[in-house]
Amino acid sequence: MKSLFTIKDGSAAHWALRLLAAAIVVAIMLWIPTKGSNGLVTSATEALTLMSAAMALNLILGYTGQISIGHSAFYGTGAYVTAILVSKYEWSPWLTFPVAFVIAFVVGVLVSFPASRIKGVYLALVTLALALVFPNLLRWPKLESLTGGGPGLPNSDSALDTTGFDIGRREGQMRNFEIFGWDPFGDLRGQGAIPFYYWIAAGIAIIVYIVIRGVVKSRAGRSLIAVRDNETAAAVMGVNLVATKAFAFGISAGLCALPGSVTAIRLGSMSPDVATLTILGSLTFLIVMVIGGAGSLWGPVIGAALYVIVTDRTGNWADEEAIPGLLRPFFGWSKIPPGTGIFAVTLIALMFVAPRGLVGVWKQYSPRIVRVVPRPAGLAAATKPVLAAVDTNTTPEGESE
Amino acid sequence: MALFLQRLVDGLSSGSVYALIALGLVIIYRGTGHLNFAQGEMALFSAYVVYQMGEWGLPIGFALMIGLAVGFVIGAVAEVGLVRPVSKKSPFAVFIVTIGLFQLLNWLAGAIWGDQVLPNSGVGSEQQQYPSLFPDAPEDFVKVFGAAIRYQSIGVFGLTMVITGLLFLLFNKTKFGLAMRAVASNTESAKLVGIRVNTVLMVSWGLAAAIGTIGGVVFAGINNSVSLGLMFTVFIYGSAAATLGGFDSPGGAVIAGLMIGVIEGMAAGYIGFIGQEMKLAVAFIVILVVLMVKPSGLFGTAKVERV
Repeated sequence: MKSLFTIKDGSAAHWALRLLAAAIVVAIMLWIPTKGSNGLVTSATEALTLMSAAMALNLILGYTGQISIGHSAFYGTGAYVTAILVSKYEWSPWLTFPVAFVIAFVVGVLVSFPASRIKGVYLALVTLALALVFPNLLRWPKLESLTGGGPGLPNSDSALDTTGFDIGRREGQMRNFEIFGWDPFGDLRGQGAIPFYYWIAAGIAIIVYIVIRGVVKSRAGRSLIAVRDNETAAAVMGVNLVATKAFAFGISAGLCALPGSVTAIRLGSMSPDVATLTILGSLTFLIVMVIGGAGSLWGPVIGAALYVIVTDRTGNWADEEAIPGLLRPFFGWSKIPPGTGIFAVTLIALMFVAPRGLVGVWKQYSPRIVRVVPRPAGLAAATKPVLAAVDTNTTPEGESE
Repeated sequence: MALFLQRLVDGLSSGSVYALIALGLVIIYRGTGHLNFAQGEMALFSAYVVYQMGEWGLPIGFALMIGLAVGFVIGAVAEVGLVRPVSKKSPFAVFIVTIGLFQLLNWLAGAIWGDQVLPNSGVGSEQQQYPSLFPDAPEDFVKVFGAAIRYQSIGVFGLTMVITGLLFLLFNKTKFGLAMRAVASNTESAKLVGIRVNTVLMVSWGLAAAIGTIGGVVFAGINNSVSLGLMFTVFIYGSAAATLGGFDSPGGAVIAGLMIGVIEGMAAGYIGFIGQEMKLAVAFIVILVVLMVKPSGLFGTAKVERV
């Protein structure tokens, strides 16, 4: 296969390319809260929380190969830990993030123990049951003193002044976010609280990305991938299956709790009816991850952006008049917004044409434009024709035209 | 005593629904070895179809027939068009396809019938209640030892038993049932002796979806309404039943389904700690414990794992 440019891994050109990509990402992230409309910023915030959760799910599903449709429970754990600590114990919202991580980490490790015996779709079944039980657990009368039962933890006006749970929604309400008297977000108040939530979500997304990148590119990450590809072989090679799965589930659950905490802060209230805490949340994370690309670092990012764009655009399509004329015959008959249907069809179609998602498609076809030749692993390998070896490995299947 | 009997009967009647969903899961699992996550939503869709037929004034028996046909077609098409081509790729792809199907059917039901609870006279439903297979007026019950046993409960339980019996006859007394058992036990050998494996699998999925349809219609009848979230929890109870009974044992699925219905009803009623909110935890714990301790279930055959 021909490519327009061939550059070496680690060369100046490669670094320039990387910097360009990073610059584009930074530019988009800065442009949205400073120049975008409030609606766009809110959508971007949703996309950021969604991609954090999907990245966390990706660690366990994409990299470790353990099917989980129970991540809404971890997400909800984070949301409720923050909500409870802030509203009942008047903690600073900042401090709830590490606590949410630790508690969800422990929950994740607990889930991992059955997971080390239960495999494949059976694990999916167990986690599905977990996702369905979780909202009921929140409604459970025995826990009502903590979770507030069915109504959840409302954002009542009386609680506002004392708890600071409604952070930044009005002027002068952000004191809980001060760090030793310094308010790092003071300058952002120009546009109200909306960009403020955006930055929290962005910070969490960046942290989640960095942690997952760190895990995946380390020895631990390679053992996760070994478990995914062949559990028995991994065990034979000396990977401790129980410890590895416990680690993966713990980190994944802990990271998934962080966007949950962001949601609690953003909404200013929590109840078991919040969609991302139910099975629908789990399915959304799964869709985002699979459409973007399971087992790739950028898959969830792209998937989340796409998901939010489509659901936002089609959100009012239950009303036939709102549909752009050309698409009206296709979606006009639907009584509910077609977002779910579009993604369901996409999900099924992807399994036929591109099981590795959009990032997989990109990886398949991008070498036509720019090919990065990996550095040879050692001196012995350097003498071999590296290019030829790469060619045979990366040439996609249906490549005949 | 009356209360105990009441709970027993109620448990058996909801257990029958779980048994029907579990039966569908088991038939598919025996055929293709897949766990069909869309089983509940297939049932949901055809339950809506039956509602629509009732809306058009068809008698319930006729409506159910059409619902069964629609269910069968959905199941068969899903197997031939989606699951079969993808199953060559990876188990993960099949899992994603069943999840996609789950979402698609749920959305389709919502797109056609809207996301409110039906029948709802406020949105133009002709019917006052969901078309019921059995007499379901407030006075349709018999008193036994002080417990009010509704005709509906008796009917649901009886219907499940009849279906189980018919399936038993199908599996054990017909040539097609023999073919199904052959495919379940060894697909390759079945092919070699001239069994049309593809047809068997297609019919298995169709049959499973049709049985699910009965479960969905019966459950909507018990609930007196149908809504988009109707089958979420029923699916979990059904899978708990299939797990407990053993994924390859139809008889086990029925027994386990009834057991779970009764256990759940008793646990929620007598153990105040659990209460109505945590009923679902019973199913969760059953799935978890069975998979941990005895993955083959009570009546299933243990799977030998080769390395």
